[in-house]
Amino acid sequence: MSDAQSDNPIYGPFFGVMGAASAIIFSALGAAYGTAKSGTGIAAMSVMRPELIMKSIIPVVMAGIIAIYGLVVAVLIAGALEEPSSYTLYKGFIHLGAGLSVGFSGLAAGFAIGIVGDAGVRGTAQQPRLFVGMILILIFAEVLGLYGLIVAIYLYTK
Amino acid sequence: MANKKGNNAGGRTQQQINDSKDYSAFKVVFFYCSLIVFLPVATFFLLKSTVLERFFTMSEVTTNIYSAVGAVVALHLALGLYIYKAYFGGSQHTESYKKID
Repeated sequence: MSDAQSDNPIYGPFFGVMGAASAIIFSALGAAYGTAKSGTGIAAMSVMRPELIMKSIIPVVMAGIIAIYGLVVAVLIAGALEEPSSYTLYKGFIHLGAGLSVGFSGLAAGFAIGIVGDAGVRGTAQQPRLFVGMILILIFAEVLGLYGLIVAIYLYTK
Repeated sequence: MANKKGNNAGGRTQQQINDSKDYSAFKVVFFYCSLIVFLPVATFFLLKSTVLERFFTMSEVTTNIYSAVGAVVALHLALGLYIYKAYFGGSQHTESYKKID
């Protein structure tokens, strides 16, 4: 077997495809959990304080941003996929790692945003000064997904 | 929504006021949410095409990286704008509504 063939096996792009898929799948999973969990909190809170809708939508928006991180990385990886003849196995591994890093970071961040958003909007309805604290905690949950995105982009440049 | 006291005219105006408040709040939230959803996507592809067009010597990976970073920066600018608006602009009327039975 020649060197070119062993470096470019037919299953090489499989890893890249799985990387692109897992980037968006797990990010969307985390974003969906965050949206649903904080959505129940908003629905329960808005019965008594409907004027706080604008403030309480923030966890839902932040959960949606997690999915955009996954979308960006998935589009990047999908743009770099090629035929097996010009796609090394190393590139496939790199793309799989990039997709998994942003995917699972997004999953974790989405869980955190959901739980914090649920408790935060319920608490903000009773004590409006909690809003600043809720935003700070949400930002700290959000940057977990951003760290995954940074690692994914750094891996992508290899 | 039924008005138990039979005060139809007053109830309707109150409801119209509430509806217009809801509609204006919906407009603001819808604008910012669509900004947050579509701005990064537009920034990504716009930046990709223009950077590719202008600096053609740049490799495709570098172009993609700059487009992705620009999209994420635009996303956070829109999010910061929304939080600013929600924190300073969304609380000018602080009176509480009554629960609708």
